[in-house]
Amino acid sequence: MSRARAAAALTSRNWLPKASAGLVLGFALALAVSGLFAWFGPGGLFDGAGKTQVNMWLISPIWCGVLSLCFLFRSGRAAWIWLGTATLLAFALLYGGRWMITSGGL
Amino acid sequence: MRTDIVRMYKDIHAWVGIVSGLALFIAFYAGALTMFEQPIQRWASAPADLAEPVPLESVPALIAATRAAHPESARSYRIHVETGPENPARLSWDVGGDREHGPDAVYGTALDAAGALETARLNASPVGEFIDVLHQQVGLPFDHEISMPIMGAVSLLYAIALVSGLIIIIPSLVKDMFALRLGKNLKRMWLDVHNALGIFSLPFHIVMALSAVVFAFHDQFYDAQNVVVYQGELEAQWSQDGNAPEPFDPQAQPLPPAEIVTRAATQAPGFTVTTLEYRAGPDGRLGGRMMGYDPRWGMRGPTYGLVGFDVYTGEITDAAYLPGHQSGWAALVTSFFALHFGNYGGEPVRWGYFLFGLAGAFLFYSGNLLWIETRRKRLTKRHGVRAQSRSAHILGALTVGVALGSIAGISTTLVAAKWMAGHVENLAMAHSWIYYLVFLASIGWAFRRGAGQGGADLLWLCAFTTLLIPVTSLIALLPFNGGLWTWSGPVLLLDGVAAIGAGLFAAFARLTRQRALKGPRDSVWSAHVHEAERAAACPPAAGGEAPAPD
Repeated sequence: MSRARAAAALTSRNWLPKASAGLVLGFALALAVSGLFAWFGPGGLFDGAGKTQVNMWLISPIWCGVLSLCFLFRSGRAAWIWLGTATLLAFALLYGGRWMITSGGL
Repeated sequence: MRTDIVRMYKDIHAWVGIVSGLALFIAFYAGALTMFEQPIQRWASAPADLAEPVPLESVPALIAATRAAHPESARSYRIHVETGPENPARLSWDVGGDREHGPDAVYGTALDAAGALETARLNASPVGEFIDVLHQQVGLPFDHEISMPIMGAVSLLYAIALVSGLIIIIPSLVKDMFALRLGKNLKRMWLDVHNALGIFSLPFHIVMALSAVVFAFHDQFYDAQNVVVYQGELEAQWSQDGNAPEPFDPQAQPLPPAEIVTRAATQAPGFTVTTLEYRAGPDGRLGGRMMGYDPRWGMRGPTYGLVGFDVYTGEITDAAYLPGHQSGWAALVTSFFALHFGNYGGEPVRWGYFLFGLAGAFLFYSGNLLWIETRRKRLTKRHGVRAQSRSAHILGALTVGVALGSIAGISTTLVAAKWMAGHVENLAMAHSWIYYLVFLASIGWAFRRGAGQGGADLLWLCAFTTLLIPVTSLIALLPFNGGLWTWSGPVLLLDGVAAIGAGLFAAFARLTRQRALKGPRDSVWSAHVHEAERAAACPPAAGGEAPAPD
């Protein structure tokens, strides 16, 4: 609470760097999360073509959500750093988990 | 909620709204009308020069006679279990064309009283399809590949507008939700209406925004997932449900369609079959697909579910899109489509979606008006003079021109369906020209006359063109009807709704005219705006000098 108050007030003035982070990294993050859901979500990778479609639909709410809320970051820099980290983490989980499955670790 | 967050999202809401609002208006108005695409189709379709459809039991004879006279029909044809003005023939097939633009021509056959074959080119009107495409492409006339990404961008802005609008209203939600301060303060009233519509139809709008993003970008989403998720093996995902087809016996005879329908009824009770589609494979084997509906369930297509069936045994072979028989993920996906199409629950839901769609259009219209009024307040504060900026004038004219122009354009092109039939070769092209001519002329008129006067004029135009819909149907009843036609039955509802719509437009037109003449003169809605602008054309000093004449 006190941290929030101490932080500089948010304004719409620096919208462009925030929105571009939301647009680009929001999509990348949504893509990675949809991949995690496809591989490790209920049913796994092969659970019918219906699930394949659900995996694709999942991108829309995540992307829209990030794009709408990315303005809450303090600055464009913060948006790019935080969303970039989250995206890298999600992709690391996706590729790491996939490697463990395909290499017989699981 | 921190006030800086609310203030920030107010700015964002205003700007994403202003950029996407007009495209969304057209998408929602046209989309509301697509809830009645079938009645529109029926209303607009000319009678075919064919005998009454043969009973379903006699279809094998019809197929044999058609095949003898038109061998090209054997490759792919449809049996219409349900016929009507928009589907006058029991049997039809397409000639030429492609998947995106539809066939060049559709032919149908019937048997006359003596059992001889009759063939006619079917004149099902393309106007319903035109309105649907207008809806899908947010009113843009470009090719699908160009229009859809723009529609997708608009949908993303729409999603931001929804979230930001919600954040803005949360602090005052309890206070404002049921407040409708009708009365002297017009801006307050418009804001209350805007908020109430937004809050009460929020779930509807969330569904529309999220599904529209998918409709715009599904190819790109799949392509991207193919690379990073499926390691280039998306195809393996699609083929995982496929069961290998039974070996084909070339001697096998297709079951008569009446038998197919009977067997479908026992396998899928409650599913009403409307159409059977046949397509011959390279080895001569016929594949079958049936379309139909079940009001108890949502459906994957806008007005139908799809079922694959074995032409030779009548067995349902692919129930992935059979309403109510889907399992797990497929049912979930169908529910996303059904929520967008409003095709679950029958007539009440259909009407509900119609009204929500119109309310949505009004939401965007009111949003633009609020933007204009807010700017007026700000300018007034800043300059101490009651005035509206140039941008407010432009946006005001653009708003009434685009919104009312699209309404008048749709009504005009719909009316033209009945007057053009039989006189015009390329109906689809003609519908497009008529719509965009009225649309662009309306925008031009709004700029010429200003938002206030132009808005009233265009509302009268909307009232007039919409009234022509039932009037055209009435003229068809006259003895000298010039070849017009009319259909009885439920399609009369369309004439009725159009008459009510025309009345509402006329009432709005009167209100707008009154405001133009008697309302505040510093508003873009005033008829006196142009005098003020002319006075401001050679301003003594920069900015906001347009004085109120009194």
